[in-house]
Amino acid sequence: MSPILAISGLSKQFGGVTALAGVDLAIEEGEILGVVGPNGSGKTTLFNVVTGVHRPSGGSVLFRGQDITGLKPHAISRAGIGYTFQQAMAFAGLGVLENVQIAGEHVRARADSTANPWPTPQALLDFVGLSAVANEKAGVLPFGSLRLLGLALALATRPSLLLLDEPAAGLNDRETTALVGLVRQLPGHGITVCVIDHDMKLMQMLCRRLAVLDFGSKIADGPTEAVLADPKVLEVYLGGDL
Amino acid sequence: MKEGLRQDRAGSVFKALRSLLPVLVILALIAAVPLFSPSNRFLSLAISAGINVIALYGLSVLFGQTGILSMGHAALVGVGAYAAAILARDFGVGFWAALPAAALASAVFAMIVGIPSLRVGGHHFVIMTFAFGQLLAIVLTNGGDYTGAATGLDLAGPVTLFGADMSDLTRYYLMVVAFVTSAAVASWAIINSSYGRTLRAIRENEKLAASLGINVGRHKIGAFVVSGIFAGISGVLLAYFLGHISPSQFSSFPSIYLALMVMIGGARLIEGPLAGGILVAFLPEVLNLDPVQSRIVYGVCLIAVIMLLPDGLIGGIVRALRAAFSGKPKQETQQRGAAEAQR
Ligand SMILES: Nc1ncnc2c1ncn2[C@@H]1O[C@H](COP(=O)(O)OP(=O)(O)O)[C@@H](O)[C@H]1O
Ligand SMILES: [Mg+2]
Repeated sequence: MSPILAISGLSKQFGGVTALAGVDLAIEEGEILGVVGPNGSGKTTLFNVVTGVHRPSGGSVLFRGQDITGLKPHAISRAGIGYTFQQAMAFAGLGVLENVQIAGEHVRARADSTANPWPTPQALLDFVGLSAVANEKAGVLPFGSLRLLGLALALATRPSLLLLDEPAAGLNDRETTALVGLVRQLPGHGITVCVIDHDMKLMQMLCRRLAVLDFGSKIADGPTEAVLADPKVLEVYLGGDL
Repeated sequence: MKEGLRQDRAGSVFKALRSLLPVLVILALIAAVPLFSPSNRFLSLAISAGINVIALYGLSVLFGQTGILSMGHAALVGVGAYAAAILARDFGVGFWAALPAAALASAVFAMIVGIPSLRVGGHHFVIMTFAFGQLLAIVLTNGGDYTGAATGLDLAGPVTLFGADMSDLTRYYLMVVAFVTSAAVASWAIINSSYGRTLRAIRENEKLAASLGINVGRHKIGAFVVSGIFAGISGVLLAYFLGHISPSQFSSFPSIYLALMVMIGGARLIEGPLAGGILVAFLPEVLNLDPVQSRIVYGVCLIAVIMLLPDGLIGGIVRALRAAFSGKPKQETQQRGAAEAQR
């Protein structure tokens, strides 16, 4: 089966800085893939280039066989790729429910949307556990809730591939456990997941497969246990928190 | 579940209707003013204010909902006014037919200015709209007989409605009140639609909006075009009211005044444009100020509003009322401050 996302030779330069140096990566339908790597290794840039936040300097991205390289963020969202940013974001001045309503209103109608109706904004808030604050302004939410709202926003766009950039950063243990529970359910709803995080314990819980970036290059890719035992990976993380 | 959803929807429609009610009540009171035989001077001032308020409702969609400030909005009013005058002179087009034509002309100009300016974003737009205002004044001044140069154009056509002559001051006043009401309802409908939500999303966070499938660039241009439609209609009413228009009426100063009015009144709430337009028109009259003094007062008002009442006068009043009744918003503002500090 062909991968849902096929990244080949993807590179990105910021002035003199090479953030991505020709990355090949395939994300398979239905999996939860983890992307790890030290700070500044290009993980966020990888997501930013795939989702159109930045234009790539080279390489290509195929989504379900379609070339989406260099498309605008809104077009990539409509194609079916959801994205939650590393800096938790919401429309701070608007209501929590209104936030999710907005996120669901720009979806390109899918063929299967009538057969399998997507959850309503209210149901999505239930799913992430925020229905009690539906009428609050998003700006007053504590940080953990803001992250969960970000997840609900991305889910409202009906993605078939969801990219999560450090979704557990800043969450306490209870919130992290809740998040893991939610993310694990996503493949069962037809959503493939690719997640970035530093927390290896979290990654071991979530992902059967890991890809490792270092200085903008992929240095390992395979089953989680094998990757974590790889000497090259150990070297990168030497003295780190592995 | 379905039942609950329907109740929810009915509830939100009811809430939305309730937000329109105060404006309609105020406008009904304003429409009753001629019963108290006001002076001609009062009526003229009120008509000018009302014509401004129509443009302000458009500006509130742009600034209040979308978060983009135009500093050349009077130029779009000018496009409408000149379109009306030229259509009447060269093609014998009357008041009612001029309305859609002028609205279209202003919308097209907004698109021409908006496409290059809004792509570059934020502060550039303010400067581009300002430059457009200056440029239009220069073009009109140097347009020879076609635009009437610095003297401008006369427009002597009658305005009739169902055969009745509307040129009489009281009738024109009532007609402007009707137009203001339509503008308020249109802006209310935008605020409470999914389109309004889209614009607010762009105002709050463009990057997030784009990641959720919103074509930010196109909607920003669209909001400017929508505000242009209001401006064009305002321009037609102005041209027919004054009977004479000239370039200086649409240059930078009037534009700054419009921006000032919408900020003082408050751009996000439906009462804001009405309050701003009336206040700025009548304040010098009430306080008996000369033009220089009134400019100083406006400047001070604007600084005070920006510093003390970020949502404008109406927003401030609403917040004060809420505080008086519930006694807890202080905590909310503190939390919001904390959330903002975190970002
Ligand atoms: N917008 C940007 N402008 C300039 N340099 C950037 C930008 N974004 C990322 N970089 C640089 O690219 C490299 C990779 O960054 P990033 O992708 O954020 O790493 P990670 O997410 O793995 O921590 C870093 O050296 C960073 O400084
Ligand atoms: Mg990062």
